[in-house]
Amino acid sequence: MHMIKPKAKGWFAVTLAASMLLGACGSGSGDAQTKSGAASSDEGGEKVSFTLGYASGDPAARKAISDTVQRFMDEHPNIEIKDISDNSASSYLDWLKTKDAVGEFPNLVEMRDTEVFADAGKIVELPSDLLELFDSPPEVEGKVWNAPLALNVPQGIIYSKEAYADAGIAELPKTYDEFLAVQEKLKASGLSPLVVGGKDIFHMGFWVNKFLIDDVYAQDPDWNSKKTAQEVSFADDNVVQAMTDFKFLFRNYVDKGWLSTPDNQTASILVSGKAAQLFSGTWMFSQIEEADPSFEYGFYAVPDREGHVNVIGLPSPAGWTLSAEAAKDPAKTEAIKSFIRYFFEPEQYSLYLASLNGIPSTKEKVEYEASPAMQSALDLMNDSDVTKSLAINNWWGENLIPPQFRNWFYKKLQEMVASDGDVTDYMKQIDTEYDAQVKANSM
Amino acid sequence: MGTPASTAGLRVKSKSRRKRSNANSFALLFILPSLILYTLFVIVPTLGSVYLSFTSWDGISEDVRFIGLANFAEIFQSPRVHNALKNTLVLTISLVLLENIAAIAMALMVDRVRWFKNLFRSLFYFPTLLSGVVMGFVWAMILNYNFGVFNQILNAVGFGSWAIDWLGNPDYAMISIILSTVWKGAGYYMIIYLAGLQGIPTELSEAASIDGASGWQQFRFITFPLLAGSLTVCMVLSTISALKIFDQIAVMTDGGPGFATETLTYIIYKVGFGELRQGFGTALALVLFVLILIVTVIQVQILRKREVQY
Repeated sequence: MHMIKPKAKGWFAVTLAASMLLGACGSGSGDAQTKSGAASSDEGGEKVSFTLGYASGDPAARKAISDTVQRFMDEHPNIEIKDISDNSASSYLDWLKTKDAVGEFPNLVEMRDTEVFADAGKIVELPSDLLELFDSPPEVEGKVWNAPLALNVPQGIIYSKEAYADAGIAELPKTYDEFLAVQEKLKASGLSPLVVGGKDIFHMGFWVNKFLIDDVYAQDPDWNSKKTAQEVSFADDNVVQAMTDFKFLFRNYVDKGWLSTPDNQTASILVSGKAAQLFSGTWMFSQIEEADPSFEYGFYAVPDREGHVNVIGLPSPAGWTLSAEAAKDPAKTEAIKSFIRYFFEPEQYSLYLASLNGIPSTKEKVEYEASPAMQSALDLMNDSDVTKSLAINNWWGENLIPPQFRNWFYKKLQEMVASDGDVTDYMKQIDTEYDAQVKANSM
Repeated sequence: MGTPASTAGLRVKSKSRRKRSNANSFALLFILPSLILYTLFVIVPTLGSVYLSFTSWDGISEDVRFIGLANFAEIFQSPRVHNALKNTLVLTISLVLLENIAAIAMALMVDRVRWFKNLFRSLFYFPTLLSGVVMGFVWAMILNYNFGVFNQILNAVGFGSWAIDWLGNPDYAMISIILSTVWKGAGYYMIIYLAGLQGIPTELSEAASIDGASGWQQFRFITFPLLAGSLTVCMVLSTISALKIFDQIAVMTDGGPGFATETLTYIIYKVGFGELRQGFGTALALVLFVLILIVTVIQVQILRKREVQY
């Protein structure tokens, strides 16, 4: 009988162990292959991945989207979504352009400048089988390009109930002049009536567009196209009146540090009691509640001098959009369509909307628990007597303004307020610059 | 037929010429990789930019339309660009003067102090290590109107009404950017001046002291002239750096309030990149390049004449 010598025994043991180990691995990977094979056959295809890009500046919205993405991937193991969003809301266009420049334009992108990117051939129309999800989505050049993440929400005064009570304000103003009287009372009570995040240029647009909508767009939604055709002017009486009211408000009732206050500080300034009111949209509600869950606040739209209420609320062409590159790949396109359908399922969509107090864009009813302030916003949208409009830079088609005009215009208004400049003079300068930019862009 | 000596001379000459040629080829071989990379990543894009500056390209579309000198015409007529040029010049002159004065003062102190020399040198140099973005964020927080340290101290001692909107008041925003940038940048130039100071022979100062020269006279007639080489380097570097300043403006003021702190570099980014006018932005970048080149050449010519060799 052969005895295995000790040294040989050792080698034999190693060899045996190794072969057992390799056998286990082999059978394991076989099992894994079987499992994945089973998964593939269940899901009907090989693994597909696509990149996702969106404005991730708002932490609540970012979390809501990334949670939806994770749930989708858990339910669809053959689809991988790479979230490449690492940007702030104020620099979203810069980020998108950078990604495009390095060849990483997202396959599915939150598009905000639809006409520009459509003209550049970077995006394609929304697949026709997804149109049924939405109720009359906006068209650019006769086509629907976006699955709107939400409808545009109205902007209005978010006010501290305590500050209003302390100042003896028992009723909400019904006209703009009553609104100014409220500001006087607040000022007399020792508070800054209004906080404005003027350092972030997009925040300037909230008040600027409130006055423009009241005096210009509510009467003439096609004003931008007429301005481009030089049929109207920024120096016309209605625009001058709008900007005169804007300047008066800012020089008398806005917190002194408005030009260096960023948008993300306005919630803290409001809840800390340094200011009584903030003019913004419903997305701020969750930020305020997070800053101070016990802070009591209300919301209302500022009426015009005649007591009529005009708000931002028309839909605009923005939302989830398919890139031209992704559209070339049928598997990717199907995966993206699958995600879009999932995103807008009421069960998923309600979670996203609740995070930013949004208004659903879908035909299908979506419900979530809304605060009293959010109910006020929804009442505005449902009120047929309230005129819905858009900000100066959200119009499209013939009403599209030069892309570089908005920021320049808001900065010029900052300069006008800070230097106590003559409104008519400034409007003439703005008018000249608008025409120059239209001419430059036409080359 | 030449004499052996002259033939030998010819042979030596051609041998040394061959040797030089071999050395040159070797040197070229070593330089070649860097030269290729520099050409690909600097020269080629720069030449490409020159072409783009004559177009109306928006930065994203395939359509690149040639528009001749229209971008340059707009640049020279634009009130916004004129304002940015004014801001750029104010910023540059202020930064160059203040950074170099502060750097010389710090270098003199570090050179002459007896105790904690290394500590002072490290403290003065430390801000240089911060990136412009980090520095901008820190100073934006310190200078914040509502929550910043300066105004909080004023509130705490009962002088809340004296609180200044450092970054939101057009009269103070530029000053805030200048002072914070000097705080960050002076330490870098201090090192160069320190090296220059330590190269000055001590016998000159000793002789001057013996002759009864005061500290100021020694500085004016001995130290400062002998620092001319360092001065040339620091003035040129600080001028180029000031003309291109971007990070602090982007983070602290976004070119505002209004256009109060908007510089040429900032418009290049804001309009050219952020507002879909890549052709215009490139043209402005070219104008800035030429401006920096002219200023630098003139500066070097003037400063070089002052340099003293010892």
